Amino acid sequence: MNNSLPRLIDGMVATLRKEVIPRIEGEYARGQAFGIIYMLNNLKLRCSWSNAFLMEQLKALEGVSRDLAPLAPDLAGAPLPDIHAPAALPEVGTLEAMRDAGDGRVCDLIDWLAANRARLPAEAAASVESIVDAYLARQAKYEISTSAKPMFVEMSGGAEKT
Amino acid sequence: MREPPGGSSGDAPAFETVARLRGRLGQYLSGAVGRTVSVERVTKFPAGFSWITCEVSLSGFPGVNEAILRVGPPYGLFAPYSAMPEFESLSALAASEVPAPRVYHASDDPAILGAPFFLSEKVEGDTPLPWGSQGQTIQGARRESLAADFISALAALHRFDWRATPLAKWGEGVTHENAALKQVDDWEARFRRWALRPHPMAHRALQWLRGNAPVAERLSLVHGDYRLGNFLEREGRISAILDWELVHLGDPIEDLGWAFLPQYRGGTPLVCGLASETDFLSRYEAQAGRPVGPASLRFYRVFSLLKLAFTHMAAARCFENGLFHDLRMPAMATQISPVFRQIGRALDEAA
Repeated sequence: MNNSLPRLIDGMVATLRKEVIPRIEGEYARGQAFGIIYMLNNLKLRCSWSNAFLMEQLKALEGVSRDLAPLAPDLAGAPLPDIHAPAALPEVGTLEAMRDAGDGRVCDLIDWLAANRARLPAEAAASVESIVDAYLARQAKYEISTSAKPMFVEMSGGAEKT
Repeated sequence: MREPPGGSSGDAPAFETVARLRGRLGQYLSGAVGRTVSVERVTKFPAGFSWITCEVSLSGFPGVNEAILRVGPPYGLFAPYSAMPEFESLSALAASEVPAPRVYHASDDPAILGAPFFLSEKVEGDTPLPWGSQGQTIQGARRESLAADFISALAALHRFDWRATPLAKWGEGVTHENAALKQVDDWEARFRRWALRPHPMAHRALQWLRGNAPVAERLSLVHGDYRLGNFLEREGRISAILDWELVHLGDPIEDLGWAFLPQYRGGTPLVCGLASETDFLSRYEAQAGRPVGPASLRFYRVFSLLKLAFTHMAAARCFENGLFHDLRMPAMATQISPVFRQIGRALDEAA
């Protein structure tokens, strides 16, 4: 891919809006097309080309750098590439599993606190609750800040909101 | 392709194919009324994530030419379904002051259409949606008239003497003391079925609800999804309350908590885009004959937000499982976090 992902999505959305949707027959089908726009807008806020995709390109660059290096003494002043790919980057699936395990632990803590509150120092229980609530607020705020503006009017009516 | 429950191997369920649907439904209705009934035409409505709704033209069905067929598909939002709660409650309400469609026949036997279904009256009217037709709000005399009908119908539902009907059997095990917690249990079970990942806010809210469950002042028939978008309007009046799939016995304040959700205000500060909270409560209390306790209302507002978050999780689950490709499903799923933020604020206010 030679374009940035955000620009690619902007282009797809503009094409759908200007060229495709006006020619679609039927409210439901147009609503679904607006659904595609909405989901693309969400992807734009959360996605980038994947680590694995870029890593493969870096490894190729590392290879060409390694292959050229022995020739350096004969190529005085040549701008030889000297690229080193990072040893490893976590896979998205690994990060997702870590997040889910962490959230699972927070769920367990919330349930445990409710079951054991009576025997805990009131101040400690209140502090745990306050810290957990701050965590929940932070996660919700981030999730919302990386979500596109809802398009339920368009999706249900199959027409641009007026 | 989905395996057809009760259909011949390799075939889509009868409700998925218009020709087979017409044949099977006609056969069933002929047997039910003891004369030949044919289904002339079936038109599917595009709206809805749960039950499939079709308009059907009938020939030979006593006194009815046009009817509504509702089918609960195995891939619907709240599947698996039974047609019986909706059918039994609407049958019982036929003689009440609640504007609701008459129901004719129902069956959960998958051998007939491949899914539970019921046939009901076709009531004339349009459905104002929570997000407004093209974002427009309901105004003036029309709003006042709809508000009056909306509040009156709810009060009538909650006054309805279900004990004097076959719905009395629904009361087994439901008490004033456990009505709220039974609903929390039911929805927690759904949450555990639907969630695709751990949700600490859901646990936080469930624990709060368990610690703050009110005793119901009254046990009533509860609609379960009473809101803008679930009634038909004709000439400025409500002609029918629709979508009774979540009907149950419980604390009537539950319906108020749901109707009061910000998501159903149609871009206005008004309850369901129709009446201010104060106005709604005073008119409801006068007609229902009982005051609405602030603590109960607070409980059911939080409960309703959590139900809404769980419904969004159901949408995510349906889409993720590949049972539905409707893009409104993942769009709904994007709303889990905004609802969680509202729950967090509601819990802060309650502290």
